[in-house]
Amino acid sequence: MADATQLSMRDARDAEDERLLADGEINLLLGGWVETIQDICVAKMRGPVGEDVAQAVCERLWRELKAGKHQNGRYPFRVIVHSVTRWVCKGWYEPGWQESELFDIDGAAPDEAEAVVIDVTLEQFVATLPPGDGEVAALTLLEGLEPGEIATRLDKKPNAVYQAIHRNAKKLREWLEE
Amino acid sequence: MSPELETLLDELARRHARGEPLDVEGTLRRAGDEADELAPLIEAFLARAPRRGPTPASLSFVQSLDDPPMLRARVAKALKVDDVVDAIVVECDLAPETRPKVRRYYQQLEGGVLDPTRVAASVWDAITGLLGRSRALLSAPAPMYRADASFHLQERLVTLSGVEPPSPPDEVDALFLGEPEG
Repeated sequence: MADATQLSMRDARDAEDERLLADGEINLLLGGWVETIQDICVAKMRGPVGEDVAQAVCERLWRELKAGKHQNGRYPFRVIVHSVTRWVCKGWYEPGWQESELFDIDGAAPDEAEAVVIDVTLEQFVATLPPGDGEVAALTLLEGLEPGEIATRLDKKPNAVYQAIHRNAKKLREWLEE
Repeated sequence: MSPELETLLDELARRHARGEPLDVEGTLRRAGDEADELAPLIEAFLARAPRRGPTPASLSFVQSLDDPPMLRARVAKALKVDDVVDAIVVECDLAPETRPKVRRYYQQLEGGVLDPTRVAASVWDAITGLLGRSRALLSAPAPMYRADASFHLQERLVTLSGVEPPSPPDEVDALFLGEPEG
């Protein structure tokens, strides 16, 4: 992978993970990912089995971190999390897969192609929007403000904010489908 | 994609920004027949959204990963050791007087001391049925259990019986110390 690509992957979200990894703060590092892993697994597996799958993902990551893997900084931890999650979900129903892999502490490495695919952030989506809608998107999607708060902050009419939110929802869907 | 799905996706994105639980399962349920269309978009969103900070619950979960997985599963279900023992005794059709021995073996299994590959399928059926997790998820990773092929049945019987002389293997021993798979 090109150095420039690697550098672009190390955005602000990755910096904290990198620090925690370097400091050996495994619980804090993985603890910050547990909810995301659970949500992805429930979405992927379409039901409560996602909780079991998420547990397997967390156990696998935890064992690998305890064994000192992923500390070379080759990939942001975010990339490793998504790769392992995808890999566990994909193999979940394969006969015998659970039995063998749960005892294997040195399993598959993240796929480099996948690393590039998920090098896209919500901030980049916001940056693609026209300035007015982008301001609203930044406040809804990145800061979590309510429409009324946004209207006050931007000195806009609430209706204008709602219209921007509606336009942004459509564009968000199109962006996620790319 | 219907406007309703865009609304559901937008609501989920805003819950994420506010640091609220996403309730992915509930969101997919609300999508009804369109859940298969919405789920990949939720996955794509989560892959691109910034991760949130650890919560007390997530930290507690990660800290519990130091515990053997069967213990974690039992505690999560608020079950006592005796609840699991009762299930094993019933499932394996054992006599009531075997309970103390079953209990000792179960505690060894739960603590990662007993090789899980030697335990009979009927015992696993009882445990997985009660704890609601697969055998693979409940088995401790290999380095956690101390047993290996050199730790013979008679040695284990001595361990179990303390100062008492070893007794001949019985039905309970066979259920927990059977031959390893494969």
